[in-house]
Amino acid sequence: MPSQSTSEHHVPSSIYAVVQPHQPTMAMDASLAYEQQQQEGRVAEVFAVINDNVDLLAEVLGRLDGRSLAAAGCVCRVWAAVSTRESVWEAVCGRHVEGGAAAGAGARPVVAALGGYRRLYRLCLGPAADRLGAAARLSLSLSLSLFSIDCYERRLGRERGHPRPASLLFLDHNNPVDVS
Amino acid sequence: MSRSDLGTDPYDSVEDDRWIASASASRGEIDSLLQGAGYRVCSTDLRHVAIGLEQLESAMVGDQCVASSAEAIHYNPSDLTAWVDSMLSELAPDPHLPRHPHITATANTWADPTQQRPSLHGLENHHQHRSVPAVSLQSMDEEEDAAIRLVHLLVSCADYVQRGDSEMAGSLLGQTRLALARVNTGFGIGKVAGYFVDALCRRLYPPPLSAAGGGGSAANPEILHHHFYEACPYVKFAHFTANQAILEAFQGHDRVHVVDFNLMHGLQWPALIQALALRPGGPPLLRLTGVGPPSPDGRDALREVGLRLAELARSVQVRFAFRGVAATRLEHVRPWMFQVAPGEAVAVNTVLQLHRLLGDRASPEGGDAAAAEPIDTVLAWIVGLKPKIVTVVEQEADHNKPSFLDRFTEALFYYSTMFDSLEGGRAGGSHRGGHHHHHHQQQQQTVAEAYLQREMCNIVCCEGAARVERHEPLARWRDRLGRAGLRAVHLGSNAFKQASMLLTLFSGEGYCVEEADGCLTLGWHGRPLISASAWRADDDAALPCDHQTLLVLQDHSSSVTSGSNNVVDGDDHHLRQHSVVRNNDTGSGSSCSRV
Repeated sequence: MPSQSTSEHHVPSSIYAVVQPHQPTMAMDASLAYEQQQQEGRVAEVFAVINDNVDLLAEVLGRLDGRSLAAAGCVCRVWAAVSTRESVWEAVCGRHVEGGAAAGAGARPVVAALGGYRRLYRLCLGPAADRLGAAARLSLSLSLSLFSIDCYERRLGRERGHPRPASLLFLDHNNPVDVS
Repeated sequence: MSRSDLGTDPYDSVEDDRWIASASASRGEIDSLLQGAGYRVCSTDLRHVAIGLEQLESAMVGDQCVASSAEAIHYNPSDLTAWVDSMLSELAPDPHLPRHPHITATANTWADPTQQRPSLHGLENHHQHRSVPAVSLQSMDEEEDAAIRLVHLLVSCADYVQRGDSEMAGSLLGQTRLALARVNTGFGIGKVAGYFVDALCRRLYPPPLSAAGGGGSAANPEILHHHFYEACPYVKFAHFTANQAILEAFQGHDRVHVVDFNLMHGLQWPALIQALALRPGGPPLLRLTGVGPPSPDGRDALREVGLRLAELARSVQVRFAFRGVAATRLEHVRPWMFQVAPGEAVAVNTVLQLHRLLGDRASPEGGDAAAAEPIDTVLAWIVGLKPKIVTVVEQEADHNKPSFLDRFTEALFYYSTMFDSLEGGRAGGSHRGGHHHHHHQQQQQTVAEAYLQREMCNIVCCEGAARVERHEPLARWRDRLGRAGLRAVHLGSNAFKQASMLLTLFSGEGYCVEEADGCLTLGWHGRPLISASAWRADDDAALPCDHQTLLVLQDHSSSVTSGSNNVVDGDDHHLRQHSVVRNNDTGSGSSCSRV
């Protein structure tokens, strides 16, 4: 929500909220400078704070590459919640698949049943992109086939106390932690 | 050119000349083979070369003098005679070396360069690089020469085994073990040779409690297979290619039935279930019949796999039904056990199974006069099922030759290529892995090697009904399947692209997918190791199901007991009904019913 600076000591929310008002800090100086500039009419009044508009945030984060998106989840609780949304990861996956997002639209229930887009990226599309280069595209059928095998092996492993399924380890670089 | 016919004494020079003389008809052939391999040497010179190499080896092993070879000019090693002479001339030769029996085996091995030998290929390449004055890599050459000597010893030992001379074979085996000690057994030819030495030993001196199908530990074959599945791409390639063919064949059909000749953990089927779930027009009703060996400890392994697959199918909303058929041997399976419903599209899937049905091959001139083998019966009823597609994946090697020595040599080179690929594939894949990842891969590779070792042992140690690893090359399978009334289906570019992509995702260097007449082969450095092909019944060649068998077996059936397997045993034809796992639309969970 853009905040109108009506009061004299109005501080724009969110970013500056953590700063204790009575402690003089650089941020405080900055906000005073901002106020000054606003009153001088040099700065636009609209100040959009991204955390107040999570759908917008989702749109933005959905355009990131996988690693950046995962890192973005570490910024704050709001970002963590948004960056684990399936729709966001669906957008990311769509960019790594032949035919783009349109081809994968019908696959949504299947992907959800097998473990979700975030997992699909983490286990399959991400490592494949690392291996093949960012520009390369995997076919949807191949990536989902590999994904289904992994899903199946996890169930097998849980049932019998097998060692962790490793079919997709050939794609993986670090020893993955099971976050299922 | 079988040496066992001649019965010559290898120490007798006159006999040796006679051997070479009697082979003069094929000398021209040998010469052209040698030239094809890049050697400019005549077959008559081979004995001289072999003796020279022996002298060279003993001289170099004993001789620590390195400096002199730095200035020497070596002839191009493709001109073997001159090369050997030039090497010997700078080192002091010992003129009194005794001639060893394996010299003639050397000639034998040199004369068969048509077989690709990648592990020795590297050795040959290294020799080529020394054609200019260069620093001598003494220890490396020692290693290579020791490896070559090891192979010669192995082959000649196998030769003696074939001739039945267990004394000579035993003593050669001792020499081989010594030679093994001089080679790095951690990788490459040394590792494979170690396994073959053990296998030969087991054949010569069978252990008292030898189990049928020998050479195996008590390890669960499914677990070994699972690790082999993960350590290298061969089985994945097989599964993906077969699934692609099955998918294409099932287009437009509402009810489909897949028969899997070796279910194991059912790793092939999640991908097919997923692909059917996503196919345009919606998924069909999928029935899967999995054949497998009966579980030893009373556990119903087949049913468990069926349950897991049913779970997966339910989660992606594919109507699914599973049936398991337990059989100790594939030839005991009968088509009525699959209960193919009319109007179903049937796919028969055999991955590395058909070769188990073969028998001893008659001599090359025998042709079709051989007695009916189990393979013919099975192929006949496969055709009788009128399948829309039959997917066949087999090892690309000839391990069913009548002569033991031929089998042994082929197996030596085939499995050394296999092991190379396990090694090479691993090294490439773990380039970014952490310590745990590396360790895990190492473990997997070891178990995968154990899986291969079982096959190797079966080829070397077993005969008759116990030898099940009777691999035959694709050309022979084409003939056989053609005679049974099956026509080849071209696998198509989708399968090829998928296979290539699959390999790129693995550490791609070294593996190669090739297309040959509509079939795909996967190999390592140009040597194809596994082939995948698809077939369908000729419309006029379909035979009716064998209903006679149905009646006969039913007469022997005992009373039905609850929840037990369809166990088909060659010895007693007891039949009990198998539990069927059915997955309903309502998703109410799988139920077991007796049919």
